[in-house]
Amino acid sequence: MRKTKLVVNKVTEVTETLDLSGEVCPYPDVKSKRKIKRMNSGEVLELIIDYPLSAERVPETMKSLGHEVLSVEKTGTAEWKILIKRK
Amino acid sequence: MALDFAVVVIPGLVVGIIFGFVLQRGRFCMNSAFRDILVLKEYTLLKAVALALLGQMIAFHILDLLDIITLNPKPLAWGGNILGGFLFGIGMALAAGCASGTTYRVGEGMMGSLMALLGLSLGAYTTGVGILLKFKDSLRADTTINADDGTALTLGNILGTDLADILTWLTVIVIAVIGIGLIVWKLYLPWKEGGGKLDFTNLFEKIFKQGWKWWVTGTAIAAIGVLAFISSAEAGRNYPLGITAGWLGFLKYFVSGTDPAEAALGWIVFLVLGAVIGAFIAAMIAKEFKLRAPKDGKILLGQFVGGVMMGIGAVLAAGCNIGNLLSGVPQLSVGSIVTSIFIVLGTWIASYLLFMRD
Repeated sequence: MRKTKLVVNKVTEVTETLDLSGEVCPYPDVKSKRKIKRMNSGEVLELIIDYPLSAERVPETMKSLGHEVLSVEKTGTAEWKILIKRK
Repeated sequence: MALDFAVVVIPGLVVGIIFGFVLQRGRFCMNSAFRDILVLKEYTLLKAVALALLGQMIAFHILDLLDIITLNPKPLAWGGNILGGFLFGIGMALAAGCASGTTYRVGEGMMGSLMALLGLSLGAYTTGVGILLKFKDSLRADTTINADDGTALTLGNILGTDLADILTWLTVIVIAVIGIGLIVWKLYLPWKEGGGKLDFTNLFEKIFKQGWKWWVTGTAIAAIGVLAFISSAEAGRNYPLGITAGWLGFLKYFVSGTDPAEAALGWIVFLVLGAVIGAFIAAMIAKEFKLRAPKDGKILLGQFVGGVMMGIGAVLAAGCNIGNLLSGVPQLSVGSIVTSIFIVLGTWIASYLLFMRD
């Protein structure tokens, strides 16, 4: 996956985006865990998820792993955008 | 003979719609429940499953005592239970959802789950009607162990029929005391400590828009299990919830065109159809319905193959995770308990191989 730096708003700078739309459980959970593991401390991972259970659970998993959940936003019908900051 | 709308079609659909609604809101998937202990160290769904089992076990036994229902545990056929449970467990990891999880996700518009459901129906048909029927029958016949009076083996009559009543109630009471004790200790006391008030603000949001708390889901599933037992017995099928038999009956009816009254198009078929409708309604209200599919063809194929394995496994074991685990374990059926253990083992091994080796 290509590293892209894009500014979403003034405060959050997204380091990488992982589009998990269409993915069924547990792939969103497993893939986002794998992804953040390979990122550097302080970097921000943006997740696009359209599977309700994972949208609820990924932030919980990330918190329990010690990462910071910056935001969980419902962006449309069955679509969530989650921002995680690597610990 | 025509279909009986008053006791078969309407009650089946109604219970199914409620069931599907609760499955979708509570995200009640046993594949996730068991896999996540291992993969994510997450216990929320497992607690919902445990609570549903506890509630049903207590309710079923009390209602049986009051002659409102008659317990009907599945017999032990250890060959079918072990092989079927294990296949089912591997299958549900591949299919990314158990029989109930797959069913409610079809209502959410997940096309990968539709693939799994097609596989499940096909696998069940192969084993319940088709080429694997003889294998299934002989495997089950060769390995059946009944209680000494010929009834299905349960935790109650396992030491002999004359001890059955005492041992059944002893088991129920011990498990109930431990379970209720845990609820009081872990849930009620901390809640009381924290002020002890139920928050009814935004109740509509909480019911229709957000995912449910585990204890809400667990209680609701237990209540539906009881409702299903009464409604289903009324329609001549003396058993609580099930899933695989419903999809098998659905396929059987369309493929072989049997008389609807010849059991193929029974209460359980309308239950599963209702469950898809209920999940669809819940997903629409919460704005979670969208037709979507995994981008990776490999995952889609995996879901279909997993579905076939679940279908074969469920018929070999005489029940899926709903028929055996959710409905059979509360009746203390040894066959259902053995099946459940192997479902969990199968899904753990497959999940380890699929998701944990890195």
